[in-house]
Order: sequence, then structure tokens, then C-alpha cells
Amino acid sequence: MFRITRSPILLARLVRAVGDPAAGAVVTFLGTTRNENAGRRVVRLEYEAFTRMAEREMRALAAEAKRRWPLRKVAMAHRIGLVPVGQASVGIAVSAGHRAEAFAACHWLIDRLKEIVPIWKREHFRGGKVWIGAQQGGPRPRRAARRAARR
Amino acid sequence: MRVRLRFFAALREQMGPSGERTVRPGTTVEALWRSLVAERPELAAVPVRFAVNEAYVEASQPLAEGDEVAVFPPVSGGV
Repeated sequence: MFRITRSPILLARLVRAVGDPAAGAVVTFLGTTRNENAGRRVVRLEYEAFTRMAEREMRALAAEAKRRWPLRKVAMAHRIGLVPVGQASVGIAVSAGHRAEAFAACHWLIDRLKEIVPIWKREHFRGGKVWIGAQQGGPRPRRAARRAARR
Repeated sequence: MRVRLRFFAALREQMGPSGERTVRPGTTVEALWRSLVAERPELAAVPVRFAVNEAYVEASQPLAEGDEVAVFPPVSGGV
């Protein structure tokens, strides 16, 4: 299952999607919206995706993970639209014969997802909102913030 | 020849979600982007990546009739 969705991420559905009788481990990751970033009080996050390409890139990442580790199945879902603080914006489940490769692959998948899957995040905080590029380690502060403030 | 354009996130707010452009055959993605930057110098500071027909490409990729060129600001999946 590789899905961009406007609905809440359901961990049970991801786990079910990677169910496999040959698996001895299922490792899951949920990325949840944190209430602060760079000293700002975050009230919600908003995500936008290039949906078809994002789902295709997630599938390609899963295929690459399966080449790197002996995995059984991979499932990934990412939410778009407004996501309140505390809720999951992304979920990954990996099943494998043994836990070491499931942990390693899950970690690698979330890192790669953030690098290449075409999804963008806008942070809504008290007093404004700003688009964030994760690779830069934080918001692209001034220009985007000023633009947001003018709106 | 005509190519279609798509923009996302902060770029979408500046450029609108989509557009069209007439370019000479053999024009590269980079040359297309430079022509957009020439009209809107504020774009020069934006680090971008490109996809053509929903696959990442190098900026040196030549365009073909009807290609859909997506211009991405840095991606930011997850948290």
C-alpha cells in the first residue's frame, strides 16, 4: 500500500498491509506533528503533494529497500491537507524475516522519503505560516515568512 | 512546441498551480527555468528540482512536445 491521503493515517491498516507468514518482525514508524519548531509554537501543519508522482516515488523507494535488505513487504502512507498537532502525517510499516533488517529499512525509508518524495509542508504557527524545506534543517525563514505575513 | 508547467508549495503561490509555455525544440529544462527567472528575478534565489512527466530529471534534460515540467521547491515529507 502506497498512498497519499486526506484521511488520518491508520497504523493498523499499514500493519495489515505488510502481513506475511514468513515475517518474524514488523517495524512501524509514525511521524507526528510536533507543537514547536525553531522556537515557534506550531498549531497545525499543512501538507501538499504531487500525488501521482509521490505515490510512484514511494513505490520506487520500497523496491530499492527490498534490494538492500531481505524484506517481505513495505507499506507507506502520507497525509496531505491540514494535520492538527499530535496526529500522524506519515506512516511506514516494514515486515521482514528478522527484526534487524526491518528496523534498518524502516529508518532508511523515512529518511529517503523526506529527501525525495514530492511532498511539501507548511507550518502554521502563532502569527503566521511558512513553507518548510526539510533539507535545510528548518524553515527558509525570512523571505517566505515575510510573504506569508503579507497575505 | 508547447510544454506544460506545474508548480508546488511556495512556488505555486508565486506562479499559480500550472501554466503553458512555447519553447524551441531541444530547449533544456534549465533554459526553460532561466527564462522564467528572467521574468521574475525573485525566483533566482529559490533552490529547485525538476521533474518531467512525473520523474526527476537533470536540468540538462531536453524537452519534447507536450512534456509536463514540474518545478519543485525543496521537498519536505514527514515531520
